[in-house]
Amino acid sequence: MWKIGKVAQREFLDTVKTRTFLLGLLLIPVLIVGIILLSRKMAQSEGGPRPALRVGLTSPAGELLSRITGAFADYNRANPQTPLDLQLLPEGEDGTSPEQQGKDQLRQGKLATYIVLEGDLEAGQGTLQFYSYKAKASQIDALWTVERILRDAVIDRRYQVRGLDPAMLAEIRSVPVRRVELGEEQGREQVQSEGQRVARMMAPFAFMYLIFIGIVGMGQHMITSIIEEKNSRIVEMLLSSISPFQLMAGKILGLAGVGLTVMALWGAAAYGTATWQGIKIDVGLDLLVYGLAYYVLGFILFSAILAGIGSICNTVKETQSLMMPITLIFVIPLIAWPQLARDPNGDLARILSYVPLTTPMLMVLRLSSGPDIWWGEIAISFVVLVAGVLVSIWLAAKVFRTGILLYGKRPGPREVLRWLREK
Amino acid sequence: MTYAIELREIRKSFGSVRAVDGLSLVVPQGAVYGFLGPNGAGKTTTLRMIMDIIRPDGGEIRLFNELSSCSVRSRVGYMPEERGLYRKMTAAAVLRYFGSLKGLSAAQLAQRVPAWLERIDLTGYANKKVEELSRGMHQKLQFAATVINDPELVILDEPFSGLDPVNQDLLREIITEMRRQGRTVLFSTHGMHEAEQLCDFIVLINQGKVVVDGTLDQIRSRHESHTISIEIEGDGAFVGTLPQVATARPDGRRLDVTLREGADPQELLRILVERSRVRAFEIKHPSLHEIFVRLVGGGHVEDR
Repeated sequence: MWKIGKVAQREFLDTVKTRTFLLGLLLIPVLIVGIILLSRKMAQSEGGPRPALRVGLTSPAGELLSRITGAFADYNRANPQTPLDLQLLPEGEDGTSPEQQGKDQLRQGKLATYIVLEGDLEAGQGTLQFYSYKAKASQIDALWTVERILRDAVIDRRYQVRGLDPAMLAEIRSVPVRRVELGEEQGREQVQSEGQRVARMMAPFAFMYLIFIGIVGMGQHMITSIIEEKNSRIVEMLLSSISPFQLMAGKILGLAGVGLTVMALWGAAAYGTATWQGIKIDVGLDLLVYGLAYYVLGFILFSAILAGIGSICNTVKETQSLMMPITLIFVIPLIAWPQLARDPNGDLARILSYVPLTTPMLMVLRLSSGPDIWWGEIAISFVVLVAGVLVSIWLAAKVFRTGILLYGKRPGPREVLRWLREK
Repeated sequence: MTYAIELREIRKSFGSVRAVDGLSLVVPQGAVYGFLGPNGAGKTTTLRMIMDIIRPDGGEIRLFNELSSCSVRSRVGYMPEERGLYRKMTAAAVLRYFGSLKGLSAAQLAQRVPAWLERIDLTGYANKKVEELSRGMHQKLQFAATVINDPELVILDEPFSGLDPVNQDLLREIITEMRRQGRTVLFSTHGMHEAEQLCDFIVLINQGKVVVDGTLDQIRSRHESHTISIEIEGDGAFVGTLPQVATARPDGRRLDVTLREGADPQELLRILVERSRVRAFEIKHPSLHEIFVRLVGGGHVEDR
C-alpha cells in the first residue's frame, strides 16, 4: 500500500513542478478575475464610441414624424458616443420613389437600415417596416435601439391622439421592484444586485465546469506521464519493484491529488473574486463533500480508461483518436447545459446522471442548482459510478499489465480482447 | 541447499512464437551465473518471468525457495536491458525514488544515495537532471538504482553493453565485490570475455531451451577440442605416424596435433620426450567464443 503512496507522491510532485503546469495554474484564475472585472466594466458603459449609424426613414409628414425626429434628437443628446444619423428620404428628383431610393442606398452601404412607416400607425394600424442588407453583427445592438425609439414614439403619439396623459400612464405603469435576500440572522437583509442573480444562475455551471476541467484536463497529464514512462523504458525498472496495479493506482491517486489542488485553487479564486465584488455564492458543506466524492470517483474512472489507452500507444498523438469518443461524452453536459439548468430533474438530466462518465458533472450540477433531489437518486448515482469505477479498473489493469511492456506496433482490438480474457 | 533461483520447465509463447520452451535452471546462492545465448534466444523473456513482470504459460519459478511473491522481490534487484530513467528528475532523486520503492527508510537513503553516487563516479552530477547525463552515465545510474537496497540476488540484462572500457572495468569490479559479499548475480551478456572472467557458472540457451549448463571447466572439458600445439627440435615428421595421432598440421614452427578419440595427451608427451626435445606442449582449450559459435551457429545453420 505504501508503494502506491510513493508512486502517487512522485507523480504529484513531478506534475506540479513543471513550468507549463504552474503557468496554466496561475493563468486561469487571472483570466477568471479578468473576465469578471471586464464584464462589470462592460455593463457600466455601453461600449466605446462609434461612428454615427445612418438610418433612412420614409414617413408621411405630420405630428408622428416630428415626434420621431424629436426622439432621435433626444437620444443623440443623451448618447453622444453612439450617435444615430436619421435621414428622411423624400421623393427623388428623377421621379424614383422614396422606397426605391432607400433600398438602393441600403444596397450601396450608405444606410445601415431603412425604415418605412406604412398605414395609419396613429390609429393603431399599419406597420413599421425595417429593411436590412447584409446586416453586421456589430450593429445589432444599435438597430435594436432604433426600433425601440420608433416604437416608443408611435406609442406616445397614440396616447396623445386618444387624449391620454403620458405622465399619468407612466405613473400607472411604474411598479418598482426590489429584491431582498434574507441573511441567516434576524434583521440581516441585503438588496440583491443584478450580478448576484446572474451569479446564482451561473454557479451550478461553474461547479460542473470545474469538475470537467478537473477530470478531462488532468487526464491529459495521465496520458503524457504514461507515454513518457513507456517511451523511456522506465516501466520495467518500476515493475521489478512494484506490481502494475500499484503503479497504475499510484499514478491515478497522484494525479487526482493534482486535480483537487487545481480545483481548490481555481474555485477559491473564483469565490474570492465574487465575494470581493459583493456577489454572494452559497457553497454548502454538503455540496463540497458530495463534489469531492463525485470528482475523485469520476477521475479514477476516466484515468483508469486512459491508463488502458495510454499503455497500448507509443505516442501522445496515437492516443488522441482513441480518446476522442470518450472525451466527447464529457462535452455533452456542457453543450446541453441550458436544457439541464432549466430542468435539473428532467429526463435528460436523469439519464446523464446514470452514465458513469457524466455522473459527477451532472450530480454536482443538480445538487447545486435547486430543488432537492431524492436521496435515493444520489445513492443510485453512487452505486452506478462505483460499479463503473470497479469495472474500468478491472479491465484497465489487464490491458495495462500487458500493453505497458509492448513497444512498436499498436495492438489491434482483437489482440486487446484476448488480453481481457486472460486470467 | 537452497537455490537463489529455481526454474522448472518454464514455458512462454507470444502468439505462435515459442520464446521459452521448457527451460530449467538452478542458480546456487553466492554464484555468479552467466546467461548466454544469441539474439532472440529467450534470455530477456526468461529474466522478465523471473521478475514476475510477465507470467509464464507453464512451469514453476522459485526465488529463495519461495514461489515468486512480493516479499521475495524486495530481496532482488533487476536491471532491464531497456535503459530508461525519468528525464526530468535529478540523479540523486532517481536513486532516492527507486530506493524508497524498494523499502529503504529516509535514514538509509541519506546514507546510501551519496555512497552509491560516489561508487559510480557521479558525485558531481547528483543534482543534474537525468536528461543532462550521457548514455553511459544513465546506465551506471540505473545500475546503482538496481542495487541500492543491497539485494541478495542481482539480475542484470546486458549490463556491459553500451559502457566504455573504463566503466566496464568498474562494473566488473562491483560484480566481483558482490560475489565476495556472498550475493548471487545472474547476468546475460554477449561478451564472452566478461563471462569467462567473471562467471562461476554459465548457461547457454538457444530457441528457448538450455544448450549447455555448468561451470566453465565442465563446459570446456565437455567440448575439449583434442587439439595440442607442440614445438620440438629437429624433424617432426614422425609425429604424424604415431598411433595416437589423427592429424598433424604444421603451423609455423609448431605442429597442430589432433588426437584420436580416447587417446591421452600425457601419453603423447611421454613419447615426444623420449624421441626428441620438447620446446612447447600446449593442450588447447576451446574458448567460450568457439563453443558458443559451434553450438549455436551450427544449430542455426541446421534450422534455416
